[in-house]
Amino acid sequence: MPWPENPKLIGTRIPRLDGMIKATGKAKYPSDEHPEGMLFGVMLYSPVPHAKIKTLDLKPAEAMPGVKAVIGIVKEGGLVRYHGDDIAAVAAETEEQARDAVRAIKVEYEILPHVATEPQAMADGAPEVVRGGNVKKGRATSVGDADAGLAKADAVVEMTLNVPVITHVCLETHGLTARWDSKEKITAWASTQAVGATAAELAGRFNIPVGDVTVLTEVMGGGFGSKFGADVWGIAAAELAQKAGKPVKMFLDRVQEHLAGGNRPSATAKVKMGATKDGKISGMIAETYGTGGISRGAQFPLPYVYAVADNKRTHSDVFLNGGNARAMRAPGHPQGCLIMESVVDELADKLGMDPMEFRLKNLAPNDFRTGIYEAQVAIGAEEIGWKNRKARGQSSKGPIKTGYGMALHQWGGGAAPDKQVTCIINPDGSVEVRSATQDIGTGARTILAIIAAELLGLKVTDIKSNIGNSTFPPGQASGGSTTTPSMSPPCFAAVSAARDALFKKIAPGLNAEPGDLSLADGKVLVKGEAKLDWKDACRKLGMMPINELGKFEEGLSSVGVAGCQFAEVSVDIETGVVTLKKIVAVQDSGLIIDKLTWESQVYGGVIGGLNYGRFEERVMDPTTGVMLNADMELYKLAGASDMPVIVVKAYETPEMKARGVIGIGEPPTIGTAAAIGNAVANAIGVRVANWPMTPINVLNALASAKS
Amino acid sequence: MTDQDPKSRSGSSRRDFLRGSSLAAATAVLTGPAQVALDEATGAEPEVKVLTGEVSLTLKVNGEEKTCKVEPRSTLLDTLRHRLDITGPKRVCDRASCGACTAIVDGVPVYSCTTLAVTCTGKTIETLESFGTDANSVPHAFHQADGLMCGYCTPGFVTACKAFLDKNPNPTLDEVKKGLDGNICRCGTYMGVLEAALAAAKAMKGA
Repeated sequence: MPWPENPKLIGTRIPRLDGMIKATGKAKYPSDEHPEGMLFGVMLYSPVPHAKIKTLDLKPAEAMPGVKAVIGIVKEGGLVRYHGDDIAAVAAETEEQARDAVRAIKVEYEILPHVATEPQAMADGAPEVVRGGNVKKGRATSVGDADAGLAKADAVVEMTLNVPVITHVCLETHGLTARWDSKEKITAWASTQAVGATAAELAGRFNIPVGDVTVLTEVMGGGFGSKFGADVWGIAAAELAQKAGKPVKMFLDRVQEHLAGGNRPSATAKVKMGATKDGKISGMIAETYGTGGISRGAQFPLPYVYAVADNKRTHSDVFLNGGNARAMRAPGHPQGCLIMESVVDELADKLGMDPMEFRLKNLAPNDFRTGIYEAQVAIGAEEIGWKNRKARGQSSKGPIKTGYGMALHQWGGGAAPDKQVTCIINPDGSVEVRSATQDIGTGARTILAIIAAELLGLKVTDIKSNIGNSTFPPGQASGGSTTTPSMSPPCFAAVSAARDALFKKIAPGLNAEPGDLSLADGKVLVKGEAKLDWKDACRKLGMMPINELGKFEEGLSSVGVAGCQFAEVSVDIETGVVTLKKIVAVQDSGLIIDKLTWESQVYGGVIGGLNYGRFEERVMDPTTGVMLNADMELYKLAGASDMPVIVVKAYETPEMKARGVIGIGEPPTIGTAAAIGNAVANAIGVRVANWPMTPINVLNALASAKS
Repeated sequence: MTDQDPKSRSGSSRRDFLRGSSLAAATAVLTGPAQVALDEATGAEPEVKVLTGEVSLTLKVNGEEKTCKVEPRSTLLDTLRHRLDITGPKRVCDRASCGACTAIVDGVPVYSCTTLAVTCTGKTIETLESFGTDANSVPHAFHQADGLMCGYCTPGFVTACKAFLDKNPNPTLDEVKKGLDGNICRCGTYMGVLEAALAAAKAMKGA
């Protein structure tokens, strides 16, 4: 069944259903919940990067005022492997008491040598974070003959680029509020991107049926890929609640959020790439590494976007004493994009070719995205004023240099074809769609309601979009831009089935066949003529609501998008300060359900990429091994004054719409930092090889170019 | 010299402030590493007495007198959220960097995460739960312009925006940006926020 050809609601600008409760402070986030008798949980986490726990004495904490339960998480003799690693947890009547009690816990650390930075971790004889050495080589990849490709190049560039680890900085920290409803039944209000997985994790840990676990996430304060389970602290909250016989709220403090709540791995790439005079990339050799702290996860795609027939690559994951990496908005792609796009830009310059023209010449010949890129680049170039771009370093004479840069990106996404939605039409005319998915700020709740309202001829506000409850039919986790394409088809199916069931019930009373009925503007129509109000029609159901389950259907959603971004910057070469003037994002994502929340996602992606390009950096102290900026003043994020003009262009042709629904969370955040880096290089005539584009990195690049 | 001058000698020094027995509330906060560091720096044995008791406190919040028990070190934010179940203001950075906790005290927007509750007696405290919601209101403008996504920074932005517009009813875009620079959003909703602020300014004039 296809999407409606002439939709009334789909594709229009519809304010999100939960917008007003959020904007009035009335929305209850998991961290706002306060079940009767609730205690406050606080974590004790490691102040040192690497140590053996010689002794752990919880008794002093147990004796502190207001304390109801204390648990150890690491055992005596066990290890803490990074600043922020979990040690113990306390629940007390007030949060102040819980913090005092955590401080009263006596820990004797046997300090072990640490490695906190990639150079430390990779040095000869470095202390081992994992057995067998800190550098884990991945499988080398080779396509064609890279050396021969480079040998026939007319221009070759070789460069090393770095981008640091960044952290998710979810504004609502990780955590949950846990309440045991009986000895074997638990309710958890969790700040999660996956109510289902969180319920399964709790059920497994406490050995109870998953049906006796209810995870609720009505709203939540940001995840960006870092909140897919209950986590150590969530389990600790439930354990403390069990021990104390009272509900426990446990949310990380801001410091531990930075340290343990996840991060995007760093990337370092030494790349050699060549091209022939006609502007074709002829070969590429790349050696790359990155760190995900104590975990793997630093792999990223390279080559990226462009066709490089002859290439070879090695990659290593570097382990160090830092919190473990978690998926972060388009995992791997921002790193791969900014590395590839910097080298491509350099190579175009060396060939004396317009970097846009060079990019278009190197798109993959047999990829469906190629035509999309060509159309998008034309739109973006016009919007940014690419024709005003001067050759590299040819900006005005004074200290303020202006420049333009661009980047292409891509993402897969697509649907998980096994999710379900229930649609309920009640005799009072109210309509509910239910699924165990959740809205992490993307607008998922509103999208389900739009689909239902479209099919039932109702207003979006007439639909109760009931999600964020793990006991509902299985729904998609919010990640990888998969939620909308996974959930829209079963929603479409459920609502269609409910509508058809309603038609079947009421058709006889209207002396009509079910096939004669349709719905529009809150009315039931017979052969196109309005006969009955929606509510009157539903009243004919008597006591029995309609309750239909929808499953995935092919043809309503799709996978794979392209996008391009352009940046215009000015750089003060005396201070190194980069000022963004304008960013243009051109993006496709198939059929857009809600243009308003779609645009917000693209703006948000661009601003996330802007942060990555200009500000963000986890700073580790090599000497002490601790993170120096685990806060929100020295860990820099853009504020309102940092906003340039941002122009978002939906690439939404009839062909794009015909593809069906595709997710939009990841793609628009990928290319921004790359485009900014290229604009800076264009402005100042020197490649800034180290991200972010901070004054010190810009000035260092200028200084090393002079010397 | 004014009392805003960090080098002022006329008022209490930082150490006097920390050690003054009349300011026990502040010393009580420093029972952890900061106190140890301070003692090491001064070579002194700890002289301060840690207060852990609770005091009864009456606050006027959103037009209602509310009584609760807090410790002298409890922040206004934690008191609102934990004791009074007023959870609009959010705890995010917990050290006056991000603005999610913004409340209006005696007409002035403050970071409630770094305001002690005991300093707020006798003052008028407003949180966004008390704001109007009609078509000319700030919350309405945020909703319509989609100036929010996950919504966790939103209470702070809405509150800061309301306080800003009350004082600056005809702002330019640049003035709005500066006026809201004390708040941080991670989802990246600034475009909607700025649009909402300008729309609210316009609507409030028409009201």
